[in-house]
Order: sequence, then structure tokens, then C-alpha cells
Amino acid sequence: MSHIFVQDLTVTYPLFNRARSSLDTQTAPLDAAEGFGGTQRLVRDGRGYIKGVRALDGISFEVHEGERLGLVGANGSGKTTLLQALAGIYPPEKGSIVVEGQRTSLVNINLGMRSEATGNKNITLRGLASGRTRAEIEERRAEIAAFAGLGEFIDLPVDTYSAGMRMRLNFAIATAFEPDILILDEWLSAGDAKFRKAANERMATFVGRAGILVLASHSASLLQTNCTRGLWLHDGKVHMDGPIDQVLAAYEALGNGRSTIKA
Amino acid sequence: MVELWRTFAWDEIQQRYRRSMLGVSWIVLSFLMFVCGVSFFFSALSGREMENFIVYVALGYAAFIFISGNFLDGCQVFTSSRVWIKAMSLPYSVHVYRSLFRSFVTFSLQMAVVFPIMIWSGWTPGLITLMAIPALAIYVLNAIAAQYLLGLIAARFEDAGHLVASITRLLIFVTPILWVREGLDGARAFAADLNPLTHYVEIFRAPFLGEMPRMTSWLVVFGVTVAVWVAAALSAAIFRRRLPYWL
Repeated sequence: MSHIFVQDLTVTYPLFNRARSSLDTQTAPLDAAEGFGGTQRLVRDGRGYIKGVRALDGISFEVHEGERLGLVGANGSGKTTLLQALAGIYPPEKGSIVVEGQRTSLVNINLGMRSEATGNKNITLRGLASGRTRAEIEERRAEIAAFAGLGEFIDLPVDTYSAGMRMRLNFAIATAFEPDILILDEWLSAGDAKFRKAANERMATFVGRAGILVLASHSASLLQTNCTRGLWLHDGKVHMDGPIDQVLAAYEALGNGRSTIKA
Repeated sequence: MVELWRTFAWDEIQQRYRRSMLGVSWIVLSFLMFVCGVSFFFSALSGREMENFIVYVALGYAAFIFISGNFLDGCQVFTSSRVWIKAMSLPYSVHVYRSLFRSFVTFSLQMAVVFPIMIWSGWTPGLITLMAIPALAIYVLNAIAAQYLLGLIAARFEDAGHLVASITRLLIFVTPILWVREGLDGARAFAADLNPLTHYVEIFRAPFLGEMPRMTSWLVVFGVTVAVWVAAALSAAIFRRRLPYWL
């Protein structure tokens, strides 16, 4: 049983070194035209100081069992923040997120690992952190090591790994314990062809188990292969929600959403 | 969950001393060096016999290291767990237990040195020694709340860490560890009593020295414990949701 229900989700990152914008507010419309939405997403206090950045602004949607959701949107549109909120890392400032099912998220490959510890140790730590027992972890250890393809590196500190190796180990651990909901950020497309193929296969097995996949990416082919539904974020708001092909077509027609979107 | 923070803590302890040849025994060695060195010079000032004074210092110092260590670790408990807090949703208390477990291991290792010293000085356990057990339970109870509270404060205000470090450095001199409160005249003894740590150290150390801790000490410790827990629980209820944004 897996289900995600998001209602009126708003997330604002606080800014502690309060800055006064060096730009005149008159230039704000120019910023917006650039596609960054700029100024209207900065939250100001009474005296005009910037006290935060609104990353998500009143987002609502629902994901049902077996759906595979692809997030698209320009840089800074709120994709990663939405993934982190779905993963339960950022509690909503306003609105609510209800998630049913065991979830695993891979948003930043540099997080969720002790880089001084060995690959093997990290398998244990992450397994325990996702609520698995020692026995379950031992059962999967060989499989994780094989999928990550690290060979003897599995006994070396993660510090010594290349970015690709880190990514493979992370992905192998995250998917090995068969979560109901898998939340992945765009770094997946950074893998080489061999890894992408293996990752695609692994994500395909998800469909059979009626899990939910949420994947953010700038790669149209990755999204087309793995997703059924698309959610287009723009300036922290949902701009379009529909079948992945339609969303991607509309997104690409606008030159990856860089040009002006009439809200 | 217990398994999780235990594994985290063990891993951290091993990691910390992995590159040094003597490894974890550095905890014991540096403790011994301090206790022996200080006892040698300060026993003359305290007017106590060297044999008695070394036990007094060793017990007081072990207790002090545990308490002040929890202040210092508390300031880093969430900032140093940033990698995990920003990666997966775990109860934040897991990080507190991990940190506490680590300082408890350090404390146990130090106590393992204190016992031989006590036996060497001719110590025999009595019924009153058992009073150290509730004292230890109170230590752990305080440490949980103190670490959670300081962790939240230091995550929001980086300066808190520096402030706590400066205060802790001073505390070792104003707490009766290197000197004996009983030998002081009225005003100084009163001033020492104003420091809550005097009482925290006393409820643990006195039972081992065959003395009953003063009732005042237990009352002060009890009051401070309640205050720390109320402050920690309130802060957690209000600010816990903001923690990932602060890191």
C-alpha cells in the first residue's frame, strides 16, 4: 500500500544573514522574465530585508499506487525541495504531506553516508537507518555489493570512491530494501551508460510491485523510460500535471521552460 | 532504534582513534596523565594525603568530563549529524542518543581506571557507595535533555558553541574538583554552592568517599534537572520542525 497526498505545501528557506537586495525593485519584472521568478520568491520583512526564499508555494497533488511521477522544471523551480519534503526531511511550513508506505530517498549523493567509513559499514548504517534488521541487511549485503560493482573497494572508506562509485553504492543501497516509495533526484542521469541501463532495469521492477517512484530529471529520455506522469514545476508552483509525454512535449516546446511562462 | 544509535556511536568512536597507534586507550592515558599530574601538585595545597586526594580528583574529574563533555557534544549533536538529518527522516533524538552513548563509553573507560586507583589507596565499598547509582541515572537523564536543548540552540546560533566552550573552560576551576569545598571559609563555600556543578559532582563523588551527599545537593540537582527537561521539551515542541532548515 503506497500513497502520497500533498495539500497546499509551502516551504520557505530562512536566511539568517539578512541581505538587502542590491537590485532596485524596479528591475524585478526583468528577473521574472528570465524564468527565475526572482524577486517575488524572496520573502521580505517590514523593512525590506530579505529574510527567506520561498522554494515551494501552495503545491497540491496526489500520487496513487503504481504511479511513477517525473518532475520537470528549470533550475531553481523547486524540484529538489519538493523531493526533500516528500522524503520527510523538510517539515512543511504550511499545508500538509501524507505519505503511506515505506519511503527511501536519494536526493543528494553526498549525504546519508559516513565518508570516513567503509562501503560495507555504510550499508549497515543506512540499512539500520531505514528501519531494517541486522539479518535483513546481511541477507542483502552481497547483492548490494554486486550491483554497486565496487569489487574490493567495498572495504575501503567511501572517501576513496569516485563520484560514480558513490552514486552506484547509494543507488544500490536505496533500492535493495524494496521500499514502497522511491524518491530520486536528477543526479541519476550522471551515471555512465552501463549504470543507467542497470538502474532503468531496477526501476522497472518497481512497476510490478505497485510502488511509487518520484524522479526529478532534466533528461527527457530518462523520464520517458521510467515515468508515467509528469509534474512541471515553475517558480515553486505546479505549472502542469498530466501524462509524461504531454508534459515533456509542452516543456520542450517552451525551450526547457526558460522562456516566459504566463502564470 | 537502539541498534541504530549504538552502531552509529561505535563507528564514531572507532573512527576517531583509527589513525592513532594506541587508539581508544588515549582516553584512558590522557585521563591518567591529568589526574596524576594534578594530584601530585595540588595535594600539598589541599592539605589532604596524596592517597586520598588522588581518588578525590579522579572521581571528580571523571564526573566533570562527562558533564562538560555533554555540553560540548550537545552543541554539535545536530550540526555534526547534518549529513543524516538532511538525507533521511529519522527522529532527531537518535542523534542525541548516539552522542550520549559515545560520552558514556568514555566515562566508563575512565571509571575503569579510577577503581584500581581507589583500591590502591585502600578503598573498601560500603552500602553508601550504592548512592552513586541514582546519581549516575540523574547524569544520563540530564545529558539527554541538555544535549537536545544545546543542539537546537547551536544549530540556530553558531555563537552558542563558542560561548559554551568558553564557559566550560572556566567551570573546571570554579567547581570543587582540584580543591576541596569543606576547607573553605563561609563566603567562599557559599560561592561554590551557587555553582550547580558543585552539587552534580558531589552526588556522584561523595558516596565513593564513604560520605552521604548533602541534602542541599540532591535538592539543587533535582530542581535543575526539572528545569532543563522543561526547557528542552518546550524548545523541541516549538523548534524541532525548524531544525533541518537551520542546518
